Amino acid sequence: MKEKNDILKWLNRETSDEELLRLKETNNFKTLEKIAHYSAQIETPKVDIKEALAALKIKTQNSSKKGKFVQFNFKQLYKYAAAIVVLVATSYFLLFNNTSSFKTKFAQTKTFNLPDNSEVILNANSEISYAEKDWKTNRNLNLKGEAYFKVQKGKKFTVNTEIGQVTVLGTQFNVKKRANYFEVKTFEGLVSVTYKNKEVKLPRGTIFKVVNGVIDATNTFDVNEKSWLQKESNFKSIALRFVLAEIENQFEYTIETKDVDLDILYSGGFTHTDINIALQSITIPLQLSYKIDGKKITIYNYGK
Amino acid sequence: MTDKSLCDEMYFNEFYTSHIQSASNFAYFKSGDKSTSLDLAQEAFIKIWENCAKIELSKAKSYLFTVVNNLFLNLVKHDKVVFEYAKSSPYLDVDNQSPDYLLEEEEFKDKLKNAIADLTEGEREVFLMNRIDGKKYREIAEILEISQKAVEKRMSSALKKLRAKIDGI
Repeated sequence: MKEKNDILKWLNRETSDEELLRLKETNNFKTLEKIAHYSAQIETPKVDIKEALAALKIKTQNSSKKGKFVQFNFKQLYKYAAAIVVLVATSYFLLFNNTSSFKTKFAQTKTFNLPDNSEVILNANSEISYAEKDWKTNRNLNLKGEAYFKVQKGKKFTVNTEIGQVTVLGTQFNVKKRANYFEVKTFEGLVSVTYKNKEVKLPRGTIFKVVNGVIDATNTFDVNEKSWLQKESNFKSIALRFVLAEIENQFEYTIETKDVDLDILYSGGFTHTDINIALQSITIPLQLSYKIDGKKITIYNYGK
Repeated sequence: MTDKSLCDEMYFNEFYTSHIQSASNFAYFKSGDKSTSLDLAQEAFIKIWENCAKIELSKAKSYLFTVVNNLFLNLVKHDKVVFEYAKSSPYLDVDNQSPDYLLEEEEFKDKLKNAIADLTEGEREVFLMNRIDGKKYREIAEILEISQKAVEKRMSSALKKLRAKIDGI
């Protein structure tokens, strides 16, 4: 007991010389001395006080004085961040990215109904896409190519193309957008076309046409002649290049021309059912000839 | 004395400067983890700064160590403590350079280190605060808010365990 107290006193640096002598005589003082000596050599992380204080000041400034300080565990944070990203991405795809699209290939037409039962007939080599979820509030679709619309009465119905925008309430109309060619025909009701921020109203039986960026003066057409819906295409003073492009769309052939003026105007039509009859109805009035070689058509001027 | 408030940055800085090292050491004695000890101490000081109006300067020191202790207990993971000796620390007998002696001492240090790691937290914090920080029992008692008798008890039970482990009894 006495020894124990002496040891404790010694470690507390309160030992008198006399007591130390007495302590040194005890048999296991050597071990004790070593314990005392080496345990004091255990290294603790040295704090750079200045630096630590500066770091503390930054922390206390960032968290308002009354605010609770929460140490960020970044590993944990990454975990949550990753989970949130996955969650947001999946829900985005599930909830918002439900654009429907319809596409036709060459020589193919497709008839389908929009969510409000408006009818769309998509001509060859065309594409329509729209957001199914928003359809009730926002009847808005994108068109590449040509389509005929029978729109149910309701909110504004908008067809966007790269060239112009067509807006209606409820009618029947045709929108055609091919390379450098934009055409809207109204079969019923009133259609509003926005082209280069200008709005044009098209009553029944009128046609709006933009060729190579030039607006064609308003024309009329025969509303009973729904051309491509009846498997034929009709043209009225249209440059030959657009007519041939339409042939390509309807019949999946590539067309080459030799010594032919592609800007010559053509009026008439061609059927979608027979390539030979179609080509004849174009070439004969223009005094041209054609040759079919596999999937390639060559049109040439036989006068030369 | 009463007008010395920890909300006054000057007094806070003074308090911080004189205690950050031993607060960090204290966390280290408990956790044996070099990477978190300073963080724990820093966090405790932030708590003091946030509650400066409620803490008397005279009680701040024991408050500080209590907070470090609580923060340590809140850590979910308690790894086994690992201690290391300072490099280039002298052997007890500086003059004795015989290989046998050096080997013996290294072995001893190794045993001691492991024995300290095996002490209970209470024993270890008291023992190391005394050995490393050179704190007297009175001061340790004050910091830990226990009696000096309790500190001495922890000291002797720590010594007893260490000697038993080292002598292999």
